Amino acid sequence: MSNVIADANWKFHWRLTESAGIMIYLAEYRGRRVLWDGSLPYVTVDHQRDVMEDEAQAPQARGPWWVPLGTRTLAGNVRVQPFRGGVELTANFSAGPYHYMQMWRFHDDGRLCPWLTIHGSGLHDRHTYHPHWRFDFDLDGAGHDAVEAFTEGGWQRVEEEGWFPHTGEADDNGFVWRQIDFATGSSVLVRPHTWDDAELFAVRYHDGEWAPFSPRNAVGTAPFPAAYVGREPLEDQDVALWYVAHVHYDQAFPYTAGPWIKLEGFGRDK
Amino acid sequence: MATPKRTGRQSRTTTPWKKAKPGTAASAATSRRRGARAAVAKARTATAPAAEPALPPDVTASDPSLFAPLTPGEIADAVRTLTEDRRVAAMAKVGRYRVITTEPLVVKPPHWITGHRLARVVVYDYAADRCVDACVDLDAGVVAHLEVSKAQPMLSRDEESEAISVATLDERVRDKLTLGETALVALHYWGLDAADPAYARRSAAVMFGQHGGHPSLVAIVDLIDNQVTAVVPAAQW
Repeated sequence: MSNVIADANWKFHWRLTESAGIMIYLAEYRGRRVLWDGSLPYVTVDHQRDVMEDEAQAPQARGPWWVPLGTRTLAGNVRVQPFRGGVELTANFSAGPYHYMQMWRFHDDGRLCPWLTIHGSGLHDRHTYHPHWRFDFDLDGAGHDAVEAFTEGGWQRVEEEGWFPHTGEADDNGFVWRQIDFATGSSVLVRPHTWDDAELFAVRYHDGEWAPFSPRNAVGTAPFPAAYVGREPLEDQDVALWYVAHVHYDQAFPYTAGPWIKLEGFGRDK
Repeated sequence: MATPKRTGRQSRTTTPWKKAKPGTAASAATSRRRGARAAVAKARTATAPAAEPALPPDVTASDPSLFAPLTPGEIADAVRTLTEDRRVAAMAKVGRYRVITTEPLVVKPPHWITGHRLARVVVYDYAADRCVDACVDLDAGVVAHLEVSKAQPMLSRDEESEAISVATLDERVRDKLTLGETALVALHYWGLDAADPAYARRSAAVMFGQHGGHPSLVAIVDLIDNQVTAVVPAAQW
């Protein structure tokens, strides 16, 4: 199976990674570069205790764990399938009681859906999933980009690197964050799933700060991607975005997490 | 998991992007590129106003083949190149390390190794309890970037197997297992509490139970000493 797909106004490449699921790279829409690469570096899971006793007496919570989504946990093959108005890649991953289906859906109107369906019941019912996506959008080139967040009733420019939780505010179409290319005016908008309890980390791209092969940093320090967040300015820079969802398990599972992403300024918008 | 607060960039032992050895093909290529860049810069100085913004790096002409999975030979080449680098000589000599993963890496322009075939090699050094994250330039045969930190990379497949083996042989685990219960998976685990041995030590959580059923037991394995440090019924996790 070819790893280059040209369909539904998109052209992109993909490969299965060792730990970050299906990676998409060098994606173009209507012949213009959109994405350098995008992947799902990890899905951490933490379990909560059923604390009926005095909170102060309760033992410390245990840490999170995770398994790489990649060749070692792949169940079946990566599938490429056209659908009405687009094309999608899917792959299933399985590790003990955890089962995931990763999706990349490309719509011909410029929408992009990097999603993860979470199956399985975990160790017990009281647990939460934290899928982390990383996107390195290069809108018509790497530089001259900026990030904006929809707050206080309008789009506000993000001046420096940071962590931007979804507070519930969104524009009329539900978009909460966007990356803009100054040179062409094109943009990529991110709409979180209502129940994702999502947040976005925006960091300046640096060689050497690629997706780490673990969320865990050194002892006593913040995990990734928080460890990459400093105070560097983002305006007119090359930017990398991390979308993190927090999904608590309930009986209605399976649940599909992940953002809607929409391109604007790439030709005819519907 | 609580949302982490903003933090400053973590301090890491990072060597700058290493330049090619003098006299090598890579060095010559680098010199040519430098010469070309210097010429362009000189021309711009002469003809363009000083305030003209720099052109953005041209990422649109990238070569997709650079993203292709590494061949077994390229993986062997990358690991050999890294272990022969004098900066990790102590690690290579002691030999208590594991190669966690080796994957292709593509660097954006205008970096000097843009367009080179690169491998990212991540190694965990048990002897020094440290992570070595290297970018090996396969075209030039040099380690182009080396970062040594206390970060914990993911577990290698060998470590997952080792954790399952250690946990399965532990008497406290065997005493609690019922007929048909086996190791289901080895998870990459770390503790949040300083009193938890997994807070500071490389660890795995091995889950036991019936295939297709709910897990019944979790064993925490310290991978430095290869011993089980905790056995917890699943319901109490």
